[in-house]
Amino acid sequence: MSLFDQLGFSGIGIGPVQSEDEMTVIPIVGSTRGDVARPQNLQFQRTTSYGTMVFENKDNDHEAIIPSNFMVRGRGAQDHAMAGSGVVRKGQSRSFTNACCVEESQGGLLRGAEKQDVLPVELRKVLLDTSIRSEDRYSKLWGKISGWLRGLNVGSGGRAHIGDFYDTPAIGDALENFAAAFEPVQNQIGAVIMFNGVPVGIEIMPSAEHWEVYWKYLIRGCYGAELVRLKMLGKIRPSALVLPNIPEGSDDNKVEEIMDSFASHIQQELLPLLEGIQIKSQTSLDQTGSMRTTLLRTDSDGGGDLVQQGDEPVYLSLVL
Amino acid sequence: MASTPALKIDSGILQYVPKGQFYEASDAQFTAVMSMWKHLFKFDRTLFSLITLLGGTGFSKGAMNHMLLANSQTGTGTDLVPSALPEEFEKNIIRYNLEKLSEERFARAIKNLMMLAGGEGFVKVNNARTRKLILEFIFSRDNKNLDSLAVNFKTKLRKLVRHALGKQTIHKIVNGDEDLFQKWIGRYNRLALPVVEHLFDKQPQLRAKATGNFPLIRQYWYMKKAAAEGNVENFKKYMKGMPQRTVIGFRNSFKVPIALSEIYEKSTMSDRESLQSEAAVKRSGAKAVEINYKKHDVYDLWKSFYFKVLSGDPENVDKIAEAIDYVSSKAEKISLGECVVIIDASRSMVGSDERKLHPFLTSLSVLSILDDVKEVIYVGGKTVETPIGRNVVIPMNHTDLWKGLIRAVKTKVPNIIVLSDGYENAVKGMFKHAYDYFKNNGRVFNLIHMNPVFSAEAKSGTARMLTPDVKPLPLSDYRHIETELIFNRILENKEMVKALLVNKYQKLLGGIKDVTI
Repeated sequence: MSLFDQLGFSGIGIGPVQSEDEMTVIPIVGSTRGDVARPQNLQFQRTTSYGTMVFENKDNDHEAIIPSNFMVRGRGAQDHAMAGSGVVRKGQSRSFTNACCVEESQGGLLRGAEKQDVLPVELRKVLLDTSIRSEDRYSKLWGKISGWLRGLNVGSGGRAHIGDFYDTPAIGDALENFAAAFEPVQNQIGAVIMFNGVPVGIEIMPSAEHWEVYWKYLIRGCYGAELVRLKMLGKIRPSALVLPNIPEGSDDNKVEEIMDSFASHIQQELLPLLEGIQIKSQTSLDQTGSMRTTLLRTDSDGGGDLVQQGDEPVYLSLVL
Repeated sequence: MASTPALKIDSGILQYVPKGQFYEASDAQFTAVMSMWKHLFKFDRTLFSLITLLGGTGFSKGAMNHMLLANSQTGTGTDLVPSALPEEFEKNIIRYNLEKLSEERFARAIKNLMMLAGGEGFVKVNNARTRKLILEFIFSRDNKNLDSLAVNFKTKLRKLVRHALGKQTIHKIVNGDEDLFQKWIGRYNRLALPVVEHLFDKQPQLRAKATGNFPLIRQYWYMKKAAAEGNVENFKKYMKGMPQRTVIGFRNSFKVPIALSEIYEKSTMSDRESLQSEAAVKRSGAKAVEINYKKHDVYDLWKSFYFKVLSGDPENVDKIAEAIDYVSSKAEKISLGECVVIIDASRSMVGSDERKLHPFLTSLSVLSILDDVKEVIYVGGKTVETPIGRNVVIPMNHTDLWKGLIRAVKTKVPNIIVLSDGYENAVKGMFKHAYDYFKNNGRVFNLIHMNPVFSAEAKSGTARMLTPDVKPLPLSDYRHIETELIFNRILENKEMVKALLVNKYQKLLGGIKDVTI
């Protein structure tokens, strides 16, 4: 039983596989799920104290979903990230007091976001521990951020400043490159992300419009950032997909057939890797309006948030 | 098309426009292009100045001229001035570039001068050459022209004149110092004092005798007076024929109770402005101004066409489509031989928010000036039906350019032109894989990759490549194809470059008066 079947995601398909060096993205396509506020109606307002992020949902008819570990950054203020996903009621604001400061020696509160991203994979994994996630302690990620940055030779003195990574020009260029290499396809609502053919994340948004808004933060800020870091540390073997052999003397039609066959079979070869992912546990975390949030843990020690509206799954974000 | 190792530049240095692309903040690109400007300047200043005679963007030429003006020309003789050129050639080039640009895009020419005053992040440069360049450009023109210029670009001209002369001198001139006026401004136009007063917000004498040569300036001050007094009747009377931006500015500053629609109807706009503000005019409820689409540039027409299609506005779509066909048929064609054109219509060809659709529109515009096109192949994209029943492709989806290459090779046409940003993702490397196979297995074709998206992270030069064998031609503007082709050919031989450019200089500037800057 595939992961999507286990979680009740019906009516979804797979788009053409896209790759850039060690990263492969398999687009997930499908129709709009549930009745969720349009992403433009959800706005980060400010931090009211260290560790408290306030979001406003301007949609008076639908609840809004904040993607897991959404991160906001700005000048002269402490950058913050959500400890998980979040749901904001129709036409209301909501404070999340368990958010994480991600810039340890920077003072000041944010008003609006200058830059937005999603936390890198490894830091997101830390927050899968419910005791850490639910804790109202703004410094809870600092030690992990310092560790995550160790060996990269960015910033100064091992301080827990996530911005030291993103704002390093060479790294910024590399991340933009990742964003450039992957393009949303028609009706795309999510993606399976792989490093060297190993799944590292599954993201499904409520609609193509949501994906359109958030894909760049995920591909660049979350998965791209993790891959760039691993490459900088020499912890990932350089690789690219092995392209098909075209026998000498093949005519133009044969070349086309071989290439076509490769492109269409590549997803069939990659998808079975998802079959091995099993849900180990489900912990109910929150019910806000019609939305129920559940923390999933997988047997690969990964996990993430599933948001359901009634019985219909509308949002999924797993790091593996 | 290998470049000289010591000269790592490409024609992107002439084509940079400071607006971000789909994925890169523009500052990264700027750094890359600035490094090429500096490199070429240091490598060969003469070559650097002569190259600006080739087609390019106003910004690039402005930046390059800024670099020339910021560094005094310390030597003379054949080492710096080729024998076929006059010693004043550099000054003549700067002046020629500015005048040429002002004929095509006056506002950009002013912006280029503003670079000397610190505009667009450039370091201020103030020396005898810049002073004369600024003052001559502004004041050495007939009164009618100067009148219009002073009303249309009042704020910018004020900054420029202040930069050139300094506050003290300006203060004295405005307060009646005849000698200083003659020394700096009167030498170009002895009647221009009311213009200087106008620029520095001193109301000129409005008697016909004093401002008779500058009726627009007079009208400007009467309109301002009416706005300040809230005299709507007079405001309406004086706004007729005034620049729309100026009228709207007064209306908003002085809260004059007059409908925007009336302003759109009575004030004036350039042809380009009228096309660009068509939607705003419509929203205001003003009577639509009849636009002769056939007078417009094909890029602007495609832009207007796509924005109407994407916003679901059917009005005049048929006329614009007809004009695109007309303008394309009349365009001076560029022949690269019999060719197949592959257009990358993937999502990234939408470009940045600042220049929405620019890469894709550039590709379509290139198509309209290419001769002998046997087939056009779109890769990616989504076909939508327009309100006039014509199907068009809009950029969307992934990039599988290899499919286009195989289709193109199957046509057996000798030239394959790919218009793409060079980002291939489905799957990366498949284009090169297919290309290598064809090249190693006896298929004979010439691949030309034109790249309408500049990239700071490009492996070499300013545009990302699809295969190492084919250096992309960076193309920010479809009108610069010729520059591209020349540039790529001549970079192989610096001396040939110079000889060609000296010829170009003589052709372009040989007949014009050598004015000392």
